[in-house]
Amino acid sequence: MKQNIHEYLAEFDDIPGTRVYTTARARKGYWVNQFAMSLMKDENRKRWLADEKAYLDEWPKITQEQKDALLARDYDKLLDLGGNIYFLAKVFSTDGKSYLQAVSTMTGMSVDDYRNMMLSGGRSPEGLRSKKKGY
Amino acid sequence: MAHITAGITSSHVPAIGAAVDLGNTGEDYWKPAFAGFDWTKEWIMKPENKPDVVILVYNDHASAFDMNLIPTFAIGCADEFQPADEGWGPRPVPVVKNHADLAWHIAQSCILDEFDMTIINKMDVDHGLTVPLSLMFGQPEDWPCKVVPLAVNVVTYPPPSGNRCYNLGKAIRDAVDSFPEDLKVQVWGTGGMSHQLQGTRAGLINAEWDKKFLDDLTADPERLRKMPHIEYLREAGSEGIELVMWLIMRGALGDKVKELHRHYHVAASNTALGHIVLEPAE
Ligand SMILES: [Fe+2]
Repeated sequence: MKQNIHEYLAEFDDIPGTRVYTTARARKGYWVNQFAMSLMKDENRKRWLADEKAYLDEWPKITQEQKDALLARDYDKLLDLGGNIYFLAKVFSTDGKSYLQAVSTMTGMSVDDYRNMMLSGGRSPEGLRSKKKGY
Repeated sequence: MAHITAGITSSHVPAIGAAVDLGNTGEDYWKPAFAGFDWTKEWIMKPENKPDVVILVYNDHASAFDMNLIPTFAIGCADEFQPADEGWGPRPVPVVKNHADLAWHIAQSCILDEFDMTIINKMDVDHGLTVPLSLMFGQPEDWPCKVVPLAVNVVTYPPPSGNRCYNLGKAIRDAVDSFPEDLKVQVWGTGGMSHQLQGTRAGLINAEWDKKFLDDLTADPERLRKMPHIEYLREAGSEGIELVMWLIMRGALGDKVKELHRHYHVAASNTALGHIVLEPAE
């Protein structure tokens, strides 16, 4: 069952609307994700909410692009920049937002429309499995 | 001697924990999700079924493990574990008490059996572990059994293969069988089923695929062992990969199993909620 790592990784790019959290992404987003972990402490959450820019200044290795995306709560952009949803959950949880609320912002749908879609069976995988094969 | 008496799997959606903690389980939205656990709640507390220990396979969601350390398989060996603060304060659930002697025994046995386990002592446990406990046991003062936490990396790629998970389950079974104390041990696999928490494909649910997965836990685990990660990703969404953890449970039950109960509900928050109860058949 030995798999070729290059082929293994290449297949991930064929999935529409999906960024698999590979080590390449993990390295890019290392400091964004470590910053998010700091919000597991109540004292840090308070300092972050009181002055987000000042709090981010304590993280010199986060790029300006990543900082802007954090301030804008642009989760889709943050995934492009190496963020991971389970880490970013600390950011939206600090805002008092649920996974459903945060995740819906990446879909171009309103929260209500997204919730209703989920209640009526969710998003069909039809046509969303493979870019190349279109099934 | 200790022996494995049953296997349970369940999704571990954080919103389910919030619904329990906030007393919302009777709301229209949540009622059908929780109803499918009524059978299990009654079954599991009967004296002949009640486990002394649960080996609870779950994944840490960036709570105990950050990007600094990414163990593929980590077994909790301390006497107890506190619920983690995931950004909204820790869940108001009991402290998780371990059967540390059994945990260390499993760690040693598995390492000798060529599974290079990471041993961890200081670790807070997140919704991945505490939500299944709430689903099966409700809101007791103390959890009614000991819990051995087994954390699997399914966040940073590559996670372990399904086959590796299945084989680890077999090694855990051998370890449990060689523990001298007379214990009823259950193995739980958690996470899944289909869900995707990112991008324009978020909200993906594949009920047909999920049901086949549930069927084949009993009927054809060999198919599931061979399933490559890309199939989980394409068919069950990027977070559906958590289902590889169910195969640790399955591997621990032996070749033949009997299905006692199942429940499938769409949707709990972003996720297809799946739950099954199996017992070894030979
Ligand atoms: Fe999970």
